[in-house]
Amino acid sequence: MEEFKSLADYALEFAQLDGKNCDYAEVRLETNKSDIVTFFNGKIHLGNLPIELTSDAFSRKTGINIRLLVNGGMGMATTNILTREAIKNAVNRVYKTAKRNASQRKNPLIMSEEKAYETTWQSKYKINPLNVPLEEKISYIKEFIDIFTEKHPVDFFHIFILMTDQRDTYFLNSEGSKITGHVPRVAFIPLIIGIKPGGKNEQSMSTYATTGGWDKLLSWNLKEKVMDKVKVLGDVILKAKKPPEGEIDIILGPDVAGIISHENCGHPNEADRIIGREGAQAGESYLKEHELGYKVGNECVNVFEDPTIPDSYGFYLYDDEGVKARKRELIKNGIFNEMLHNRETAAFFNTQSNAAARAVAYDREPLVRMANTYFAPGDYSLEEMVEDIKTGIFMESFTEWNIDDKRLQAKYVGQVAYLIQNGEISNSIVLKPALEISSPGLFGSIDAQGNTETMEWQGAFCGKSEPGQGCPVWTGGPLIRLRNVRLGGGS
Amino acid sequence: MNSYEILTEAMELIKKHLAEFCMDWSIKGIIRNENQIRFSNSGIDINKNWEEIKLSLFLSKNRRTTEISINDLHPGTIIDTLKYCENLLNASKLNTNYKKLPEGPFEYDASIQDKIYDEKVVSLGENAIDLVQDAINASLNQGAQRAAGSFFYGDTQYFVENSKNIEANYKNTHLNFRIRAFAEDMYATGEAFSCSTHLENGFSAIKAGEEAGSICKQAEGGKRGKPGLYNIIIYPSVTVELQAPTPAFAMNAYMKKMGLSWLIGKKEGEKIANNIVSVWDDGTMEYGLETSPFDDECVPSKRTLLIDRGLIKNYFTNTSHSKKYQESTGNAGITMPKPTNTVFSTGDYTLEELMEISEKPTIVITSTWYTRYQSYAPPGALSSLPKDGMFLVKEKGKVLEPVRELRINSDHFHMLEHTIALGKNLQQVKTWLNMAGNTIFAPYMLIEDIRLTTGTK
Repeated sequence: MEEFKSLADYALEFAQLDGKNCDYAEVRLETNKSDIVTFFNGKIHLGNLPIELTSDAFSRKTGINIRLLVNGGMGMATTNILTREAIKNAVNRVYKTAKRNASQRKNPLIMSEEKAYETTWQSKYKINPLNVPLEEKISYIKEFIDIFTEKHPVDFFHIFILMTDQRDTYFLNSEGSKITGHVPRVAFIPLIIGIKPGGKNEQSMSTYATTGGWDKLLSWNLKEKVMDKVKVLGDVILKAKKPPEGEIDIILGPDVAGIISHENCGHPNEADRIIGREGAQAGESYLKEHELGYKVGNECVNVFEDPTIPDSYGFYLYDDEGVKARKRELIKNGIFNEMLHNRETAAFFNTQSNAAARAVAYDREPLVRMANTYFAPGDYSLEEMVEDIKTGIFMESFTEWNIDDKRLQAKYVGQVAYLIQNGEISNSIVLKPALEISSPGLFGSIDAQGNTETMEWQGAFCGKSEPGQGCPVWTGGPLIRLRNVRLGGGS
Repeated sequence: MNSYEILTEAMELIKKHLAEFCMDWSIKGIIRNENQIRFSNSGIDINKNWEEIKLSLFLSKNRRTTEISINDLHPGTIIDTLKYCENLLNASKLNTNYKKLPEGPFEYDASIQDKIYDEKVVSLGENAIDLVQDAINASLNQGAQRAAGSFFYGDTQYFVENSKNIEANYKNTHLNFRIRAFAEDMYATGEAFSCSTHLENGFSAIKAGEEAGSICKQAEGGKRGKPGLYNIIIYPSVTVELQAPTPAFAMNAYMKKMGLSWLIGKKEGEKIANNIVSVWDDGTMEYGLETSPFDDECVPSKRTLLIDRGLIKNYFTNTSHSKKYQESTGNAGITMPKPTNTVFSTGDYTLEELMEISEKPTIVITSTWYTRYQSYAPPGALSSLPKDGMFLVKEKGKVLEPVRELRINSDHFHMLEHTIALGKNLQQVKTWLNMAGNTIFAPYMLIEDIRLTTGTK
């Protein structure tokens, strides 16, 4: 990327020359490299995948993204033809369309005022996952495939995806920012489908992901976790029984708490949804009807967001608008406390950006995105959370889930869930308990959160917008207890 | 140098180096010029332009295979990337699925080029903004308070060369418009689409604006629906998520082989749908966004019957996953097959007539999203959330009562088998909610006995 930095400098310079009158100009040069090694049922697959967000198995991309704000109209152009002539043409194209857009808008678009930085940042790691030889990646995955050479009581299909990528960015804007970033990432994704011949089946997909390097992934000793998962999937298929009826208490595992923090809190707190900018894409937010300070849940509920967590999959120190990253307190003591902002939404609400602008590649627009979203831990151990439950379930992990585009009505179907009776978690596995509940209903039912020892993180790809951007994130949380809820979707 | 010259130079460089270490290879060069206008609150938020020259390579050595895409076309990067690929192939394992690239020569239907390329799209320029404004106005005229959406348009040129001495090229244009209209009540919304390859054939942004505005107006005042068992009438955009995944994803020969399909264990001739349902994969469809003269292996595009009056007829495939060499259905992806245009059969009914003939409590669902699976294994159990206007049909279609907050809980086998009537017209829809990523041509559908649920708190 180094050899093209002067072209990025030129793009910014040219955007401000020749009588062009930009309110704001921004240039982002990026190199994106990605390698995906997949094994389907033990067979290697070094080809493209049918997953929209990660379709290219191996890719090498370098290009420039230019965004201009002209008279309150925004335009963006990208090119991978890295010559001065092509850059000049791209700037001229975007200037013209931004100006034309301004004439169509009733209210000019503005960006919040932010401090400019000249700096360099990167994630901390010892071994760059992208540089790990293919042989080593293959032998890493083979360890997991070996799990299936043993005899199991049900049949399994298994897919292992090892994704390694590296994003190098050079960001500069008309306010004097000049920021170089470097983040390699790795994600290991086992997808396991257990099937009882001619009958029931269960599917499990997990994402173990980090920016902390190949060495960090190895340190997690995932084989044991996957072996446990395989065993328990078999148990779910063979032994699970109907869930209890009526009002019960539910303890949610960190997996489920994490997805809830992301879907029921992170998304509705995205300010671009609240102002309607994602109206035809990712949707809007039920919080559109409410002001900051609105009570969304019980006082014990705290959901935070923090891109600066070391090793996290959503790690960054400066966002893709050059704003310095910091922790965000989305729900604090049960109150709608903070939105996620980029510079456009921050200006709309007359506040400062909290550095939530992210793009996944040079050819994508920076949008309001989450990074690492989580329920803050409380004080309880698992034993303390269970002891006064008469009838309930412990939903350790989830399978199917979805939520409406206002982020109001959610559904989480438990995958591994156990019956709780008279203060004890039994060995009795509950079949697909479906929690179908509104966001305020859910946050208003939480009365206890596990201590830091119960806290865990999961990797994920958060999909948003059009063209789609699968943003690497972590979701996390401790154990969470819900009181007096009914399963089953009200039917 | 212009884009074509840059691309040609890069392809020549690659060919020279591939000869040194590859037995089978294919290079696909792409020159893309694409635009998007994004709008919300009835105003344009951003206008984007993408200019890209990209190369997609397939490489094989001793039955080790890999695919890579490169858009950094500087000679040094290309040579480094090829060395990297050579190392990958040397370190890889046998791809036992791989059969060599198909032998040519092939003959291509010359008429396909005209079906997919329109000079008027290339020269649309700033008129695209007027087109968006007209559609917004159309939705507001129907009673919407504001509108959001996006309009993609552009042109792409493809150049393919492979180790079987086949060289071929084509170009296409595309228009893909989506608009979502909002009433004053923010939960009353309507969405509509229009897409085609041609500006004056099968494309009308204004019509989409009117439809979205009209749905959102009708959705005002909706109340939470009562959970239970209903007949549902679904719009073509709903078929994208509820019905199309079977022919477009689960009938992919590779997906089935790998167990990522709810059709595992189902053979040709087995029943999976009601006998009124037939489905084709059609790479030759006029104005289809996935139409092309040939696939990534340079095999001519075809119209393949996948579901024949309810029975499995074929799985779509490339050469590697076909039962016999040279029996591809023209659906390469060289490593993994991919669908082209998925086309459903039509029936005799208008939307109003479908509402009249439904014998049970019926709900019209105009859009859905966030379809998620309990498992990809049989029967493909899922739930999906109706997103925009949803209406309870009363008095045989004479009254539509808006309802909300209902969730579809079903599976693919049930929905295909219980499809009891089809609309008379096909609509082309391409949305990012499609798990297979392709284009769907579908009519309205009436499906019986679908469980709808709602939240408990």
